Amino acid sequence: MSSTAAKETVSCTVDGIAFEVPKGTRMIDAAARTGVDIPHYCYHPGLSAPAQCRMCLVEVEGAPKLQPACTAEVQDGNVILTASENALKAREGVLEFLLVNHPLDCPVCDQSGECKLQDYTAAEGRPMGRLAEPKRIIGVDDFGGDVLFHGDRCVMCTRCVRFMREVAQDERLAVVQRGDKAVIDTFFGEGLEGNIWADNVVDICPVGALVSKDFLHKARAWDLDRTPSICPNCTQGCNITLQVRDNQVMRLKPRPNAEVNGHWMCDFGRLNYQWVNRTGRIEAPLVREDGKLVPMSWSDTLLRLANAARGQSTGVRSVVSPYAANEDLGAVRRLADALGGGSGVFRVESGEEVVLPGFPQLALRSDRAANVRGAELLGFSRAGDSTGMGGLEEAESFDGVILVLGDDLEDASADFGQRSKLFIYVGHVLGGAARNADFVLPSTTFAEMEGSFTNVAGRVQRFWPAIQVPGMSRPAWQILGVLLSGIIDIPAPARPGDAFATLGDLSPAFGGMRFEELGAEGQPLEYSRR
Amino acid sequence: MARRRKDKEMAANVRLMKRPEREASYLRATLKGVALTFRHMVNPHKVTMQYPEEKWALSPRWRGTHVMEQHEDGRPKCVACGLCPAICPANCIRLVPGEDDQGNRYPVVYEIDEFRCIFCGMCQEVCPVEAIHVGQHYENSEYTRDNFVYDLDRLMSQKQPSTLLWDPSDPASE
Repeated sequence: MSSTAAKETVSCTVDGIAFEVPKGTRMIDAAARTGVDIPHYCYHPGLSAPAQCRMCLVEVEGAPKLQPACTAEVQDGNVILTASENALKAREGVLEFLLVNHPLDCPVCDQSGECKLQDYTAAEGRPMGRLAEPKRIIGVDDFGGDVLFHGDRCVMCTRCVRFMREVAQDERLAVVQRGDKAVIDTFFGEGLEGNIWADNVVDICPVGALVSKDFLHKARAWDLDRTPSICPNCTQGCNITLQVRDNQVMRLKPRPNAEVNGHWMCDFGRLNYQWVNRTGRIEAPLVREDGKLVPMSWSDTLLRLANAARGQSTGVRSVVSPYAANEDLGAVRRLADALGGGSGVFRVESGEEVVLPGFPQLALRSDRAANVRGAELLGFSRAGDSTGMGGLEEAESFDGVILVLGDDLEDASADFGQRSKLFIYVGHVLGGAARNADFVLPSTTFAEMEGSFTNVAGRVQRFWPAIQVPGMSRPAWQILGVLLSGIIDIPAPARPGDAFATLGDLSPAFGGMRFEELGAEGQPLEYSRR
Repeated sequence: MARRRKDKEMAANVRLMKRPEREASYLRATLKGVALTFRHMVNPHKVTMQYPEEKWALSPRWRGTHVMEQHEDGRPKCVACGLCPAICPANCIRLVPGEDDQGNRYPVVYEIDEFRCIFCGMCQEVCPVEAIHVGQHYENSEYTRDNFVYDLDRLMSQKQPSTLLWDPSDPASE
């Protein structure tokens, strides 16, 4: 940054810690930099701040009244006290009012455990309520789509109304009535049905007023293990956390990344996770012996496969899944090159692209699989139609080696692979034409392994294992890497970083990138950085 | 020296006491004991409890196998909030929540492994709806180990009174 463009800074003190922030920083953000979390409801970093919940009141020395930290900007020399007697008293009063009509149904509320009203009341609220009057009762309203509204739990922060107005730009929610009768409602029963960004209001709701029907009563917040990951359902590559209980993915939640998805994600991606929990997976490597597939140990399987593959030079036709990681696709490419080269295809379902108007770099992309870009960069070409079917003719009639990675082959003809010399199937479930394979190798899904996807904008993003692998399944990069080291004399990759490091040889786009440097928010491809 | 050793055939440091005949005789003590025996025959002092026909009264704080309270219509009071499995130090409670036909949250599966349970009573203490209780009960015998995993039906059909960590006249401890 040159000196002329240097931002002006102002100095301030938050709870006794003096530091400098850029001019125009809001007090709540300044406090967050010192690790002080000022309680707040209506403020959300992705939305405008109306300063209406009055929860973030802090004392500023010299100011006559308490300041709302979500809109007040830090002035030079401000001494901000977030926990002074006056501030605490004001916030305790706000909490008491919020609890006037709150049903206190935490035992049956889905937000329990991640609820800001619970947290702040425990931290700063009164130990006992003083209300003698009966509580106002609104009841439950179905807002359409995946969203259920519990009016009694609402604290009227209007984050949901502002999200629909400012970010989704599809005003479907509004505050109706006034005073203690005020309630969030939809227009004319149309509800949120049909807006694919609607579930974000569930994420941003600080209390249990808006809950997801899909997640209703499914798991408690404190039972969930959270693993950073990447949404696999379109090429956007939204950063998510996989929330898991008892080895089952319970829900997907967006993980903030200003470069990719902001704070948001679409309902298509969010609700399309059941396939990760599918049962009936292949649990052991299978080898064809006397016409039947026989389970075998990994070492026996890979030794036999290496012997069968060594010396094959008729080339390879591969069919890969665009849900596979960069490392997996690179391993397929390298194996194909070692066996005489050959073309590879992937098939991807596609649909309409839906842009989020208030954050236009985020869209539900038309290709509905995470790693289409990675597959294209690593030399695989698109085949089939927009339903993800067809396009297998070349592989079907091929008489060399056929290698399938992750594709279910649902629509392949019954004799797929019968003409080939060697048919290797690396995948998750054994069905249809996969039963014709000479070798069936169980591989992991993105939720069970470490690896990376390349999104539509050329950003390489890592994901981490969230659930246990079924049976003897292994990541495909590991299976194929060990196999390749048995065919040609090269070391097998031990870690996903080793597999990632070889991608630069296959596509210059990956050259110079290091897996360890991708971090939690990913890095753009080498060429797009220049 | 040598003669004394031959006479007594005793260990070196034992000192013999010289006592009068009437004190050294066992007859007196024997008669005393027999007198006590006869006294008890006439006026018996009962110590043995005739279990299982008779039973000791338990302390109101005795913590035994669990009881699930239920509503009048037979539904369990449990709302599947998940606090008891969270607080259970022995990790012996399994809970799967769901929605019943009236739209209420309820436990689809609620199981307590009484073998793992350490009967600390924290499940009862943490329960926000006064549903699960430890009971005043100590007779646990089963033909199989599996039977000690009490499911919801079994917990609701337990007949023993609940432990008084909780005062029935003041259910919400207000």
